[in-house]
Amino acid sequence: MKEQNNLLLWKAVFILVMIGLGFGIYASSKSIDYTWRWERIPQYIISVEPKDIRSPFDGTVQSVDIKHHKMVVQPDQGGDPFIIKEFDKVNVMSGDIVFEGDPLAEVNGWRIGPILWGLIVTLKLSFVALIFAMIIGLCTGLARISDNPALRYFAITYVEIIRGTPLLVQIFIFYFFIGTVLDLDRFTAGVAALSVFTGAYVAEIIRSGIQSIHPGQMEAARSVGMNYFQAMIHVILPQAFKRTLPPLAGQLINLIKDSSLVSVISITDLTKAGREVVSSTFAPFEVWFTVAIMYLVLTGGLSWVIQKLEKRLSASD
Amino acid sequence: MTKVLSESIIVADNVEKIYPNHCHALKNVSLEIKRGEVVVIIGPSGSGKSTFLRTLNQLETISDGTIYINGVDVTAKSTNINKVREEVGMVFQSFNLFPHKTALGNVMLSPLKVLKKTKFEAETEAHELLTKVGLANRMNSYPSHLSGGQQQRVAIARALAMKPKIMLFDEPTSALDPEMVGEVLDVMKSLASDGMTMVVVTHEMGFAREVADRVVFMEDGELVFEEQPDRFFDSSNPRLQRFLGQVL
Repeated sequence: MKEQNNLLLWKAVFILVMIGLGFGIYASSKSIDYTWRWERIPQYIISVEPKDIRSPFDGTVQSVDIKHHKMVVQPDQGGDPFIIKEFDKVNVMSGDIVFEGDPLAEVNGWRIGPILWGLIVTLKLSFVALIFAMIIGLCTGLARISDNPALRYFAITYVEIIRGTPLLVQIFIFYFFIGTVLDLDRFTAGVAALSVFTGAYVAEIIRSGIQSIHPGQMEAARSVGMNYFQAMIHVILPQAFKRTLPPLAGQLINLIKDSSLVSVISITDLTKAGREVVSSTFAPFEVWFTVAIMYLVLTGGLSWVIQKLEKRLSASD
Repeated sequence: MTKVLSESIIVADNVEKIYPNHCHALKNVSLEIKRGEVVVIIGPSGSGKSTFLRTLNQLETISDGTIYINGVDVTAKSTNINKVREEVGMVFQSFNLFPHKTALGNVMLSPLKVLKKTKFEAETEAHELLTKVGLANRMNSYPSHLSGGQQQRVAIARALAMKPKIMLFDEPTSALDPEMVGEVLDVMKSLASDGMTMVVVTHEMGFAREVADRVVFMEDGELVFEEQPDRFFDSSNPRLQRFLGQVL
């Protein structure tokens, strides 16, 4: 009973400190005369503003069917007419002369706002880089413990170069040098820089994981006739993977966070979207808090998946 | 692969092993073992008996000499050592079961992956083998949920799953609690009576006396003395007498 009281006390302490912290943030924003405008944020996540449909060329409105929400615009130059099959509000009448870019009609409905779009780009970027980082890391990790000196030296050189230089510099090199030589677009250069960077750390994690498996496991696998690769795939790596899951999770979460650096080569990821939205809302606090929460959702989601995986693999403990 | 025909299934000829740190682990060891023979190797720790056993399936390479397994020179570069190892099962002191697989999974793994058997075939055989070593009721247990004696019996079943012609035992009972030694030795005895060729490194003198066709004594990397068990333990060889005086 006494123990339980203590537990409750410490939980209460935690909650009180958290409330205090929240109040602190509020108070400090008051002290600098900051007006919170949270209402400006949602439209940058999901926009419900009607969207204009604009004329693609100079032409004449041939017909407007208000009943069936249809419109046909004939180009002056000749060619295929522009047909709008769905609209909610109409700005022109049949017979009107329109110029390229004129708003013809509006459609309602929701659209993805810039912040959510940035989140999707970050997710895509991190996911593709994650896959490649695991592949690069696995190959390098195996090369690192190989008996072949050439493979070993390649692996060591790669890991040392990548770990010894800042990611930001690597992104610039990938974009401006390698990207120019190989004619890569921004996204590819960003993914390449991130996967090569994370791959070096994954390689070290996998190497230490493999080396932590008792040598008797390899001997037992070889003694029943498996070759080196069969033993690796069926015996060593499954055990090493399970053991390296926690540090691997940390590295992959780092990957998601590091992906914010690719905004320097103008990839509109979550961070860059945040910067753009700040410049149009003048609500930096709200935007950056929102962006931070979205990163938390991504990283939290990943650690949840890995925890599930860990639980499944612990069946043999 | 060049085959040397002989009634001996294992021929070790002048085997030398010198480690890179100049430790001379095996000095000119020669031993022939016939089909179906059970040979027990005894000797003080550090005498090279485990090293010798491990050279037979090339888990340990040798510095000089030759080893023939079933007529195949295992030290030759042209030999596919994986093929040889399919015929030579090994049981380790520390079991070395695959911890991420159940007992059944441990036994099935190499038939599935190396012999490319179907799942059904591999599972049926694994069932039979685990029943044979008395573990019919623990098939789906992971190694961490099995006692030492049970783990070692799974390890024996795993080695037998490749249908080997030779079984090597590297101190199979040394890591076991005393009350579990018997169950493992019983499995080994029944294997011997089935006619399996066995090479056993052990400290179990009772097993040597009862089951072995021949007992070999090694000391300081040398094969000192070999004899049938009844005459072996009564031998007057001074080095053997000193060793037996220490352990018995």
